[in-house]
Amino acid sequence: MTPDGRPSVNSVQHRLDAIVGEFADLDGREKLELLVDFAKGLQPLSREYEARKAAEDRRVHECQTPVFLWTEAEDGRAKLTAEVAPEAPTVKGFVAILAEAVNGRPIGDVAALSDEFLDRMGLIDILGMMRARGLRAIVARVKRGFAQCEAAGS
Amino acid sequence: MPDYVHPDVLVSTEWVAGHLSDPNVRIVESDEDRALYTQGHIPGAVEIDWAVDLQCPVERDYIDRAAFEKLCAERGISNDTTVVLYGDKNNWWACYAFWVFKLYGHKDCRIMNGGRKRWELDGRPWSNERVSYPRGSYTAREQDGSIRALRDEVLKHCKAGKQLLDVRSPEEYCGERMHMPDYPNEGAVRGGHVPGALNVPWPLNCNDDGTFKSAKELEKLYVKDLKMKRRSPTIAYCRIGERSSLTWFVLTYLLGFGNVKNYDGSWLEWGNCVRVPIAKGAEPGGAKAAPAAAHA
Repeated sequence: MTPDGRPSVNSVQHRLDAIVGEFADLDGREKLELLVDFAKGLQPLSREYEARKAAEDRRVHECQTPVFLWTEAEDGRAKLTAEVAPEAPTVKGFVAILAEAVNGRPIGDVAALSDEFLDRMGLIDILGMMRARGLRAIVARVKRGFAQCEAAGS
Repeated sequence: MPDYVHPDVLVSTEWVAGHLSDPNVRIVESDEDRALYTQGHIPGAVEIDWAVDLQCPVERDYIDRAAFEKLCAERGISNDTTVVLYGDKNNWWACYAFWVFKLYGHKDCRIMNGGRKRWELDGRPWSNERVSYPRGSYTAREQDGSIRALRDEVLKHCKAGKQLLDVRSPEEYCGERMHMPDYPNEGAVRGGHVPGALNVPWPLNCNDDGTFKSAKELEKLYVKDLKMKRRSPTIAYCRIGERSSLTWFVLTYLLGFGNVKNYDGSWLEWGNCVRVPIAKGAEPGGAKAAPAAAHA
């Protein structure tokens, strides 16, 4: 936060606000199109993570489609790596948004992440309550992952 | 198509490909993940979403008759339109939408066998163009109570030992878990099943390519092995009535069961009700362990 209480440029909140701003004025169809664009932007796993996917239990079990998440720290900064099945573009796009918001930020910042941005993006109106609940579970999972990372002092 | 009792309700991807410009046919996609439609749909298909379009935003119910008429008109659907539904997940949500269309008395509804998966496997094209049609003219009927069971009816049905079918996973049926494997718990406070219900998990109706199993395989599953009777009143349920609408479709149209209702309140309602009976474990349980025998 800056001294006047506004989120500092490049904070997790600031980045999320920018993404919320992109969504806010779009109609329902345009929101879904933007979500699909984000989904397309999620990088495929590197060879290293492909190998780790087979070896580690990184599946998000609360999630309806195959989602694999790594919440790690690199020099004290958040690194969110994910793979989401192509048949779930909504989840994939949403995870890509989270990655854009948190990657490279101090891991302590991620604790401040709140899922209220879902309401501000207007995603609940176009997805319905049940799907929104699944997305909130992902936010909770990401926060928990980075909190553990921070507690472990990595 | 193999010898289903009402084979006319199923169309192939080839049939759909040949009717993309047919003004009497409206292709409708219904998915679990609605961004799939945005990403790419069958050229000319419109979308109807189970959560946003078909659910009443206030009460826990479907949209009312006037809202259904408006929805159809906006999608360019009239009373005499042939509505062909398809979607992801073995047409699970497509069957749900099919059931709602039948609830309001739509005459000619069909399912594209295999849904999105089969269309993809057949190498057919996807489009992400926006689709709109001139308004249709639609007058819906009152809801057809003969295909929908509400809680009190299910309670009577259960107490009378009539045919009940639980189509959830074995873990949900036994009460070990209150939601689908890998899905979030959507709020039932008790686990188990309606006493007397047989467990036939819904994926058993489908092949790996998303198409329905053959009439022979389905007949073996429900009629030969489970001894279910075609003429006995049957109620199917799952968690919120989506998976069971696929089973309702299979029993009603592919196997020709005469009186099948979908209990859309399903476990999300039953598992929260006060003083309704619940059976735990792998056996149907309840007063009559073999419900099919009750009103044979």
